[in-house]
Amino acid sequence: MTAFIDARTLPTGTVLTPDIAIIGGGPAGISLALSLAHSKLNVLLLESGGMNFDPTIQKMYSGAQTGVPYEPLDVGRLRQLGGGTNHWGGWCRPMDEIDFERRDWVPHSGWPFSRKAMQPYYARAQDLVEAGPWSSDQKGDASNAGEGSVLPLNGGGLYTSWFQFSKMRGDILPTQFGNRYRDDLKHAANIKPLLHANVTAIRLTPGAQQVDRLDVATLTGKHFTVKPRITVLACGGIENVRLLLASNDVMPAGIGNQNDLVGRFFADNPIPRDVATLVSFAGPLAPFYGSNQTLADGTIMRATFATTAAFCRAGKVGGSLSTIEQPVELEDAGKAAVITTALALGVDASNAKAYSLGCGMELMPDPDRRLTLSGEKDALGLPRLKLEMRIADEDFARFRRTLTELGRQLLASKAGLLRINCSHREDWLKNMGWGHHHLGTTRMNDDPKQGVVNADGLVHGLGNLYIAGSSVFPSYSASNPTLNLIALTLRLGDHLKKVVA
Amino acid sequence: MKRRDAIAGVVAAAAAATAGLYRFTNLFVKHYAPTPYDDVLAQLVDREQAARLGAGIPGTLNPATLAARLRSGLKPGLAAAAEADVAAGRMTEVDGWVLPESVALLAALASRV
Repeated sequence: MTAFIDARTLPTGTVLTPDIAIIGGGPAGISLALSLAHSKLNVLLLESGGMNFDPTIQKMYSGAQTGVPYEPLDVGRLRQLGGGTNHWGGWCRPMDEIDFERRDWVPHSGWPFSRKAMQPYYARAQDLVEAGPWSSDQKGDASNAGEGSVLPLNGGGLYTSWFQFSKMRGDILPTQFGNRYRDDLKHAANIKPLLHANVTAIRLTPGAQQVDRLDVATLTGKHFTVKPRITVLACGGIENVRLLLASNDVMPAGIGNQNDLVGRFFADNPIPRDVATLVSFAGPLAPFYGSNQTLADGTIMRATFATTAAFCRAGKVGGSLSTIEQPVELEDAGKAAVITTALALGVDASNAKAYSLGCGMELMPDPDRRLTLSGEKDALGLPRLKLEMRIADEDFARFRRTLTELGRQLLASKAGLLRINCSHREDWLKNMGWGHHHLGTTRMNDDPKQGVVNADGLVHGLGNLYIAGSSVFPSYSASNPTLNLIALTLRLGDHLKKVVA
Repeated sequence: MKRRDAIAGVVAAAAAATAGLYRFTNLFVKHYAPTPYDDVLAQLVDREQAARLGAGIPGTLNPATLAARLRSGLKPGLAAAAEADVAAGRMTEVDGWVLPESVALLAALASRV
């Protein structure tokens, strides 16, 4: 058993020489460490924070931003063991096959492999997030989702799909990786977790072919060195950029940035609220549409309206997951629309019930939605980041086409009616939330001119620096990234075992 | 006057009054002035609600043009026309409501006569 080590207790000048150094103890870093547990590899897990939230440490995340209003950079992530899983909502859904494809109507889209390459890892990822027995779309449907029926949608562009949720135990929120897996990390003799250890620079060999060492510092003034055989950067879609760009002593543009890609293509999932009003002619929708339902086997599920691949292709839209929010009352004009339409279709709408609809959207990749270094520095002298946040009118237009199709399907099945509540940019931005899903900034592509890392997560041009997590997603999907980034990280774990062996 | 005749007279008077109220007031059913488009508007079960919906439809089409478009489309009946619109993707937005085109046009006509 290896206890957690507080880096503040290490003597300055210490040199550690693990086989693999993982920078970052969030869901990617912990999943990777666990996948390497009990192997012959010595693994050092470097986490900047401690077991609990510390505002002084958290402040190191703050930065500047311009453009579309967005959460401050120190809000949507947490600098402590477990990272973002200390405040996540537990929403899990695997990405669809089309999310991996190069879509000609989505510039810069496409992964270097298909979903098949991820498939073997989803079940293990599902175990790690404790989302219950595996029952995604290919197996589960409404028949096991509890009381009520699925809304008929007549085989159009949207269908009822499912989220599964990271398990809530008692009043504890979804699986928080730091708390949940700290004992597993301690019990693995080959894993050494180091807390309060801030990597301040990735030092390359003079020829810029390898990582030579990592400079590590504590906020108490200690400095030491890690000389790993392999380094995996797993600090999240924002912090990965900062370390790569700031480590510019050998590569002046920053590590992996020889083609000016690091920090570009930043993305998140916009979550605009009350984008539409959905009326069910027959009365209340099944409860699994509006709230989480716990099945007999313990799985927690909730329905969402997802787009089919065929509709995405024909309608040239991105992915989206529209979810019922809450019941709403219709005003007189709305009642007139329901009465007139239902009577025209010969449907009884005397028990009609209306709901607001929210959404998680997939953004189109945009190279100018970008993180760069700012002139300010943090407590350890690292440059802070600046985000230029953008969202295109076309992103909203594409989702609007999806809502129109949902409205059409409700009419085609004589099940209901839909009102789209957002027409102009300001309508969408008025109720805009964000998923805090930091994606795309070290994108994956086998062509070094189009990607920072290759299909294995290896930084182009370097022999021993990998990147794990959603920063490598080249296109994003509307599905929440945690389950997917964990599956991808487990794939990386298998790759590293082969490489090092 | 016999009691039976009196009762019959009262019943007849009440019936006449009811018929009058039905025909000449909006107490039981809303009456509309005759229009050249009544054959089209007859497709609406609740013209008042349709007119309320139609009030939200901007546009320059006058009632005659609307009625002309609707006459051909509504030959199979409003329900069939609406279903055909939906199947063909002929949707119109009215204050954000995604509606079959024929329903929206009929509501527009109802609001403009």
